Amino acid sequence: MFSKINELRESKIYKHFVSQPLAVVALIVITLLFLGAVLAPIIAPQDPYAMDKLSLGDSLLPPIWMEGGKAPFILGTDVQGRDIFSTILYGSRTSFIVGLSVVTISGIFGGIIGLFAGYFGGIFDSIVMRSADTVLSFSKTLIAMLLLGIFKQSSMLLVILAIVISDWVQYARTIRGEVLSVKEEEYVLASKAIGGTHLRTIFKHVLPNAVSPLLVVGAVDFGIAVMLEATLSFLGVGVPVTQPSLGMLISQGRNYLYAGKWWLIVFPGLTLMAIVFSLNLISDWLRDEIDPKVSNF
Amino acid sequence: MSSYIGRRILQGIVVLFLVSFIAFIIFQYLGDPVMTLAGRYATQAQREEVRQSLGLDKPFYVQYFNFLKNALQGNFGMSYVTRVPVLDLIAERLPASIELAFVAESFAVIMGVSLGVFVSANPKSIMSKFLMTGSLFGVSLPTFLVGILLIYIFSIKLGIMPSSGRGETITILNFWRSGLLTLDGWRHVILPAFTLGMFQMALLFRITRGAMLEVLSAEYIRTAWAKGLKGKMVLFKHALRNALIPVVTMIGLQFGQLIGFAIVTESIFQWPGAGNLLLNSLYESDFPVVATYVIMVALIVVFLNVIVDISYAFLNPKIRYK
Amino acid sequence: MSSRSVSRILILFVVFSLLLVGSMGVLAQDEKVTVGVDAPPRTMDPHGSDADSNLSVMSNFFEGLLQRNTKGELLPGLATSWERVDRLTWRFELRKGVEFHNGNEFTWEDVKYTFEERLENPEVSEFISFGSAIESVSRVDGNDWVIDIVTTEPIPYFVQNLHQVFIVDKESTMERSQGDIGTKPVGTGPYVFDEWVKGSYLRMSANQNYWDGVPEVKNAEIRAITEASTRLATISSGEVDVLQGIPVTMYEAVENNNSIEVITRPSRRAIYLGLGNRDELPTSSLKVRKAMYMAINEKELIEKVMFGHATPAAQIPDPPTTGYSDKIERLEYNPERAKELLAEAGYEDGFTITLSAPNDRYVQDEQIASTIASYLSKVGIDVEVDAKPKSVYFEEVMNNELDFYLIGWFDGSYDFGRSYSKLLHSVDPETGYGTFNGARYSDSVADQLYEASKKVVDPDLRASILRDLNRLAMERVAVIPLHYQEDTYAVRKDSSVEFTPRSDTWIVFKEMSLE
Repeated sequence: MFSKINELRESKIYKHFVSQPLAVVALIVITLLFLGAVLAPIIAPQDPYAMDKLSLGDSLLPPIWMEGGKAPFILGTDVQGRDIFSTILYGSRTSFIVGLSVVTISGIFGGIIGLFAGYFGGIFDSIVMRSADTVLSFSKTLIAMLLLGIFKQSSMLLVILAIVISDWVQYARTIRGEVLSVKEEEYVLASKAIGGTHLRTIFKHVLPNAVSPLLVVGAVDFGIAVMLEATLSFLGVGVPVTQPSLGMLISQGRNYLYAGKWWLIVFPGLTLMAIVFSLNLISDWLRDEIDPKVSNF
Repeated sequence: MSSYIGRRILQGIVVLFLVSFIAFIIFQYLGDPVMTLAGRYATQAQREEVRQSLGLDKPFYVQYFNFLKNALQGNFGMSYVTRVPVLDLIAERLPASIELAFVAESFAVIMGVSLGVFVSANPKSIMSKFLMTGSLFGVSLPTFLVGILLIYIFSIKLGIMPSSGRGETITILNFWRSGLLTLDGWRHVILPAFTLGMFQMALLFRITRGAMLEVLSAEYIRTAWAKGLKGKMVLFKHALRNALIPVVTMIGLQFGQLIGFAIVTESIFQWPGAGNLLLNSLYESDFPVVATYVIMVALIVVFLNVIVDISYAFLNPKIRYK
Repeated sequence: MSSRSVSRILILFVVFSLLLVGSMGVLAQDEKVTVGVDAPPRTMDPHGSDADSNLSVMSNFFEGLLQRNTKGELLPGLATSWERVDRLTWRFELRKGVEFHNGNEFTWEDVKYTFEERLENPEVSEFISFGSAIESVSRVDGNDWVIDIVTTEPIPYFVQNLHQVFIVDKESTMERSQGDIGTKPVGTGPYVFDEWVKGSYLRMSANQNYWDGVPEVKNAEIRAITEASTRLATISSGEVDVLQGIPVTMYEAVENNNSIEVITRPSRRAIYLGLGNRDELPTSSLKVRKAMYMAINEKELIEKVMFGHATPAAQIPDPPTTGYSDKIERLEYNPERAKELLAEAGYEDGFTITLSAPNDRYVQDEQIASTIASYLSKVGIDVEVDAKPKSVYFEEVMNNELDFYLIGWFDGSYDFGRSYSKLLHSVDPETGYGTFNGARYSDSVADQLYEASKKVVDPDLRASILRDLNRLAMERVAVIPLHYQEDTYAVRKDSSVEFTPRSDTWIVFKEMSLE
């Protein structure tokens, strides 16, 4: 056990990591926020969506340290009398679910498509690349709005789907590029030469080399997905009210900002920013680790 | 080379065809324009009459074929809502969007590239570290939040900036309504352009820095250093020129998107551009506008993509043969 | 690039921004009155949209045979007098010496053309259902200035609509393309069209030949700002002189602003909850509907969710509407009694129901829906809120496919009979009954009473039947009324504009004056 820890301490990645205090902070922040989201039902003082627990009597209370603030509403309440702290915990849950699902689904889907497109080339590659171009000439917001139009209702699944439809492209492109450059490497050619099947060649030799750039794309994409979901809520086509996300809290809070009820927008806004900012810091650091020379965004 | 260009253009056309088809299929299933058109008090029979007069009762491939045939002749039909030719409607709005995108992009390029070069030239300085981290904020805030906060601070609290619209405009060449020729117009463009350009600026900043660092670590730059050329000269003459390739690519690729999809920014600042038109048309199920709009933006995006790819091929001969 | 050139660029930026900010003060102050509104006009064809946001704008360029003042009273317009000759015939005397903006004289031919051709054209008109009820327009005894309008069926409230049916110039309308008609209005109204930059502003100037005298406000501009917070910012920063529709959530901010005067008036629009009474629904039981009504604390809802800017409603029509009854009262708020009623109806353990609502149509619509869900959950009814954009929501309402829904209504023709036929009458696509009866509520007794009211010519008798109809519907809890919204306006004190809000929320510049 101890030797394992010592081994870890000696590893290059660990050393680099602690030499980047910001990355450490970011990792801690994101872990805390994630835990908060996962454990929301346990740690939240109130279930903000149990309708029978809400009381309009507690409507729009300021944070607890301000005049008029009231326990247990640490960060104040919204118009329905919901505890803002609890809604943030629950809201980030939705945001995390959306972000994770988008990254996982588009990562796997886009990854596989890009892998095959790059490896086999030809017609399949053309189809994939043209589809990618087509998707890119729509905007993500537009795709989501069209989907809402088709299904006539908003749901978290729809939001995820809408983001995935436009997001798989960058994974596919990234991995295709990697595959193209790895494909002609000697060990891959060798594997083919000794009669390795396509699948075997792909998974044993091509995939491992292409994975790390995906990680970087994924970390950035996570943040973008969370922000996009917020934007969709702002446009009125995001997750349903019964399943609020940070974006929805912010977009609802904007109506109260001008009347001085700043806590409705500021706290969810800060949380959203903390999530995306930490993710970006981590992806920055990851990129430096994987390829210290090239630090493109 | 010419076969590469030909192929690339052909690919572009294929994409446009796909876009128009998808756009059309999707719009078949969107809200019912008859409801908005026949009036709230129309009976079923009257609605049916409207449906027929719009040709909405025909099978979709007939409608699609008609749409495509007309589109190729530059006729995109009438808006359901305003009963004005769609092309006029969009053409009227595009200058506003293009100007906003232009100002936003210029701002992003000037700030992003110069800061990127600065940081790559002084990688160890505290300012650089600060800028690097700061640029992450630029990509960590959703556009709508930035817009709301800017209006709150500059229009409501300080009262020094207008919150909406384009201000005074001047019409030039009979069709282009420009806000960039009046001081009032410039005052109106600042906040939305900043909102729209912030993400872009952070992006360009980081790309420039990355590209510069890569080029600076290359052999010939080190040679140049060794030859004793002055640091500044090296940076400018060799490094920047090479580093600009990915930067220019990025600008080209993003500009079309900036014009077409500044939806959120345009809606917050009530910018009378095409993005705002699109949003309203979506809300009002004005299909002809949405369909035409999507195709027009695809046209711009694909055109820019092809141009970027072709110029890339000129700059980098290796690509041509792939 | 050195740090020096970077800082040079930065300095340039700062100087430039300062210049722009500094130019703020030199904004030209002309006599123009600028009004910010919450919804943009869709078309300049006066029959192309029946939305109040559009009619509001049109009323400055066009006129109907009749017009309404700020209180909603019917006054002569292009017709100087009117009477109902028989069940189907209405007679009007036309105003002489009125000119359209293009110089054409207003004649009875224009009225005929408007009523017989423009209104009924399905491609251009949102008034087709009104238009198709017109049988003919003809001169009386060859007199060019007296006309009879005959309807296909008795429409007791016919004249009540005429302030919003605008008369167009036959000659120029026939000559022009629809695209031109839809962008350049030519009417007889007090203002002449100057310029419309879609999505931005609409400018107009006083009609120097207006038959009722040149209006006091010489130049006017309407700006539509749909995003609520931005709209508020325009009045704070002085970009507009008058603002329509202050969001209730931001009300406090405006009230605390010394340079802004706030004007409010009760809105004609009632917000209510529609219910279904099909057998398979729990709400088919009158006891359940009563229980739901009694579970809602409307007073608290108005105070907290509407920020005090609404008045409780006990019925759908507002006081000036024919059929409004002051004898109808709200059921008291009593959650205990509500639980008992539910138990009596066999729902001790409550039930689950979906409440559909728009999220971009009425003041605080989505929040009201959530609050209703919260109240109902306290008596054991589990409510799922399904809030969506109005474009999707209203389609569902018109497909009559909902169970429980939040909606608002005010009747442009001030007639509960008409409201009833659209909102509560059993759905019948053939006749257009029940278009907005989103949950297919059906009551055959009330339907018969409505049919009876249609046959009555005597206005007083008809009004009393409509009051009975209204009472019957409310006794049976056909809907749960919530509140009348409040129309809110902000006027900048330094603009010196005298502004009186209208009951129909239209912005009519000729009614404004400058101090």
